[in-house]
Amino acid sequence: MNLVAWTVVFVVAFPLLWMILTSVKQQSELFQIPPTFLPEMITFEHYFTLINETPFLTYFRNSLVIALATTCVVIVIATLGAHSLARFSFPGRERLAQLVLFTYLLPSVVLIIPLYLLMVQLGIANTLFSLTLAYTTFALPFALWLLRSFMLGIPQDLEAAALVDGASRMEAFFDVILPQALPGIISTALFSFILAWNEYLYAMVLVTTEEIRPLTTGVMNMLITSYNIEWSLLMAASVMMSLPVIVGFALLQKQLTRGFGAGGVKG
Amino acid sequence: MKMTIDHPASGLRRKSVKLSTRYGVLGALLIAPSILLFCIVIIYPLVSAIYLSLFSIYTPTLQGRWVGLGNYAQLISGREFWPSLWNNLVWTIGTLSLQVFFGVGLALLLHQNIVFRSLARSLVLFPYFVSTVVAVLIWRWLFNDLYGVLNHVMLIAGLIDMPLDWLGSMPNAMISVILVGAWKYFPFVVISVLARLQTIPEHLYEAASMDGAGWWARFWDVTMPQLREVLAVVILLRAIWDFKEFDLIYLMTGGGPVTSTQTLPLLVYKQAFALNEMGGASAIAVVMMLIMLAFMILYMRDPRPAEGK
Repeated sequence: MNLVAWTVVFVVAFPLLWMILTSVKQQSELFQIPPTFLPEMITFEHYFTLINETPFLTYFRNSLVIALATTCVVIVIATLGAHSLARFSFPGRERLAQLVLFTYLLPSVVLIIPLYLLMVQLGIANTLFSLTLAYTTFALPFALWLLRSFMLGIPQDLEAAALVDGASRMEAFFDVILPQALPGIISTALFSFILAWNEYLYAMVLVTTEEIRPLTTGVMNMLITSYNIEWSLLMAASVMMSLPVIVGFALLQKQLTRGFGAGGVKG
Repeated sequence: MKMTIDHPASGLRRKSVKLSTRYGVLGALLIAPSILLFCIVIIYPLVSAIYLSLFSIYTPTLQGRWVGLGNYAQLISGREFWPSLWNNLVWTIGTLSLQVFFGVGLALLLHQNIVFRSLARSLVLFPYFVSTVVAVLIWRWLFNDLYGVLNHVMLIAGLIDMPLDWLGSMPNAMISVILVGAWKYFPFVVISVLARLQTIPEHLYEAASMDGAGWWARFWDVTMPQLREVLAVVILLRAIWDFKEFDLIYLMTGGGPVTSTQTLPLLVYKQAFALNEMGGASAIAVVMMLIMLAFMILYMRDPRPAEGK
């Protein structure tokens, strides 16, 4: 059973392993027929080329800024919103909760056209702000959904105790709910960050200038438009692009599987 | 410290500890930013898309003229909509089946006590969280006809005697895209199913074993009924997300060869930004949404089969 399981895991993870291996192989080795499996000599030259001779760092910085900004905005809005959905009753609350799910089912190609027009009219097309705004739109429903699940799971005793002690609802929120929901907030923040980091279509449509371009479109553009596709650089770029995901995973392994499952399966 | 408007003790008196939920105003305030954002960037574009579809609009200048339902008439009688719809269905059903099959399979495997289980679980999740761009780059490199390692391995194994052109001819291209889609998205199924598997009580399996049930009977009669609800949700979500998938197919094949892997989302993009016909593109987008809506309604009305035999 161990063997079967790990063979399958190996097959699934193989492409990623291949990505790493290719990125440290020497250029000449890449084009050998038959291809080699392990590198004959490990080199980091592709990474240096990437950083020094291409706009990669600019793209990286852009992606970082956009993803961080999106995550902050989403977390702030979603935490407050989820608190409302979980704890308060007002007319239309259930309808809202369903609407949250519904928005997630719309194709981005539908939203992209009017969104693009809106950005142009507002005069913010081709800015980091426009991308942040756009990314917030699809990160927010997911964040609300996740955080609402978490908050529903927090027992109401502590809050009630705080209220008895004379705290207002908002004070109870900050002193009691936030600390309890922290694991959920961290998971949601990580998800939002990854969603924003990986986004391609919106980046392609809303940004056409080099300085604002994020990693996803930047990397595709930079290397595929040249006549010779430079696979070594592409693989190095891929590894670096996956860094936040790898880091996030390493730090929050357990939380992710638990949090994602809870949010995705329960109603 | 501020005093609350409602006397907290009254809330406590009713049940053990139930907070008063009557703070309608505060509740509405807290959710207001979310709603505002929704309206601006989801409701507005949605309504706009429907509105735009009634015009013929030249994308670069955004100048338009009224055509009413002309765009819709054009796409129904045109030659690209129906093939794209067909491709979309083939892609969706193909990749969804694989996602569910391997998703459930791997969830079952990862539910067992294997060595380094959490590492295995993390590794299996990677394809889902890695960027589509990265996934496409890796797979295009693997599929490379001359230097790709896939062809090499298959040649050595004797499965083929000439390198395959994975992405440049049919039906290879569609199959390749379906495979990559399955690899990228099946972890979603794995997580959801695994979470559910972990809540199935052991004694159900013990009872089945005592009745003499083999592993297949245990799976079919104990596990599957328990998974029914999760799978229903997962299949619905993945069906919809796969149906509207743009990035993966666009970056893998661009819709090619020619338009053999062009799905509806790609057609919308092509209409809007390559053919500069934004009105027509909006019409296709609206039709897409109607199809998905119809699917959702039919799916959710479908009476679920009764549990057990």
